[in-house]
Amino acid sequence: MKDLRECCLEELPGPKSQADLEDAKIPYEEYCRRLFAPGREFEKPESLKGIRWLSCTMYIFTPHSVANLAELGAEVIKIEVPRMGEPMRHTSPFNEVYLYPMHDSRPMTGTGFGYMNANTNKYNITLDYHRPEAQEILYRLVKMSDGLTECYRPGTFDRWRQSYRYLQEINPRFIYVWGGGFGYGPKVFGASYDILGQAHAGLASITGFHEDFGGHPTKHTNWVIDWYSGTLITVAILAALNWRRKYGLGTMIEFSQVQACTRAMGYTVPLYHRFGVVRQRWGNWDTQLCVHGIILCGKSDYPDEVNPQLKYDARYVMVSAFNDPDFQELCAVIGRKDLWEKYKSHKQRLAPEAQIEIYRALEQWAADKSRSEVVKILTDAGILAMPVRNDKEVYECEHFRQRGTIRWMEDPTFGDVLVQGAYSAGLMSETPRRVKWVWRTLGADNLKIYHELLGYPLSKLKEWSEKGII
Amino acid sequence: MCDIIWCKKCNTVNYLDPYYFWNWEGKVQCAECRTVYYIHMIQGFMYAGPEEKPGEAPDILPLYADKPLDGYTNYLPGTEGRTRPFQCQPREIYLGKPDMVKFSIRGRPVRGWAPQPPSTGFLGSFGFAWDVEKLSPEVWQEYQEKKKRGEVKDW
Repeated sequence: MKDLRECCLEELPGPKSQADLEDAKIPYEEYCRRLFAPGREFEKPESLKGIRWLSCTMYIFTPHSVANLAELGAEVIKIEVPRMGEPMRHTSPFNEVYLYPMHDSRPMTGTGFGYMNANTNKYNITLDYHRPEAQEILYRLVKMSDGLTECYRPGTFDRWRQSYRYLQEINPRFIYVWGGGFGYGPKVFGASYDILGQAHAGLASITGFHEDFGGHPTKHTNWVIDWYSGTLITVAILAALNWRRKYGLGTMIEFSQVQACTRAMGYTVPLYHRFGVVRQRWGNWDTQLCVHGIILCGKSDYPDEVNPQLKYDARYVMVSAFNDPDFQELCAVIGRKDLWEKYKSHKQRLAPEAQIEIYRALEQWAADKSRSEVVKILTDAGILAMPVRNDKEVYECEHFRQRGTIRWMEDPTFGDVLVQGAYSAGLMSETPRRVKWVWRTLGADNLKIYHELLGYPLSKLKEWSEKGII
Repeated sequence: MCDIIWCKKCNTVNYLDPYYFWNWEGKVQCAECRTVYYIHMIQGFMYAGPEEKPGEAPDILPLYADKPLDGYTNYLPGTEGRTRPFQCQPREIYLGKPDMVKFSIRGRPVRGWAPQPPSTGFLGSFGFAWDVEKLSPEVWQEYQEKKKRGEVKDW
């Protein structure tokens, strides 16, 4: 038996050398900068290296679930319809394309920026599942892959004999993801878009200002529920991978977008079941905290700009001063000590009538000030205030630049592009996310996958191409 | 969503394809009575107009027009002299002014113009290296000049 009084220095926690000791003394800020070192991600290993995933996905929701894996190091093979590609390449913004080319057969067709962030690091191949020859190709890919994500209408892949119950016969360790609108149930054939998810799950009903203030149920401008649902699928995939590591069995993940959206409703649903209260929209104010909202200032920070987004919209400030000392200070700053006398407790301030009076007073005070003046005055007084930024200001934000949240990269196919997706999804000291390429052109990796990975001869590939199979 | 010019003279709704008119200033002709209207759109918002411009020549025709109060009689896209054909092309190409972005806002080359030289790959395969000097020598040349002028920045 080992004598417990004996111990090896190496086994003890803490510094092992003078250099380690010096390292341990560096300030936390410096420690973090060294640990995460933006721009040096490629020197570190990838956590999901060795995982191979098939992506039969379209638009944002399901592609994003797989892009998460690809950014973490998985080898993802995206399968698109030959010649056309998936619709997101042609969807937004404005149905115009910005990065050419898409394919040799369509030299005037490119890909829109909407395709970005949801297709990072994926290899792109083309395959038409309708053709009988395609089935063998897909099955061979399934045999050597860990999972597949698809977004076709429920039962479509089953009809094509490539759903979970068929594929698990081929590969019992296979993880199969269906992501779509409603899933099985009364609305099984309902397709989904982000806006449909927001509407169906009730999220839009609690977003935006109340009708009394000229507001309407509002959808988010960007497709947040697509991004959010995709991320939740990734969580499920990682859990399924861990389960498989322990028990050696695959999983089917059936992910309804409208179902996921109800999760984002917070306490809205339990509020109804307990009290019968249907939650109302409260716009840029908050039902739980006051002051905790967005106010309009009188002057723009960019009065001479031509772009209306800068000239008129750079006037909003987020203000938070809900606890008593902060609210008292806020009232003093805006010269309305009477408001503090009137609403001394937080409960009093939460009443709708009180909120209307308080926010109106704030906006009256800000009417002759610019956004940055308001932020400076409030911040100097120790109150949390932040301008509502637009993308120009996000681009210019030093905080994001230093942390590498947004950065320029030299894409191997498309040249200089600004990326923000992967690097905004949290930092990891040992196995950070990284962007190797923003996306590949349509069928760019047909040769690599069909010939080099699966071993089909070039003559076969040429024949398939002529028949429109790939 | 589609912006319209509702001609009150002949009660005709002239439909404008929104993508062409997202940021646009010019004159559009009513498909029915051929009155010319001036409009100015900024970010999809009708900033000025429609305002009658009698005697002036139109820049463009509407895509489609109908008369809702007259049994929805209509002019389909491409009716000669009344509506323009739907060609499914980006705005710049439609107006005959190619506006291909060759450089990012910090002045470095991007592969964003058409037509592209064909790939050297088999069946549309693309390699991972884009050699701007070899594939687009004129862009490379422009890039060198930009560098000399100090127009290439880090941010």
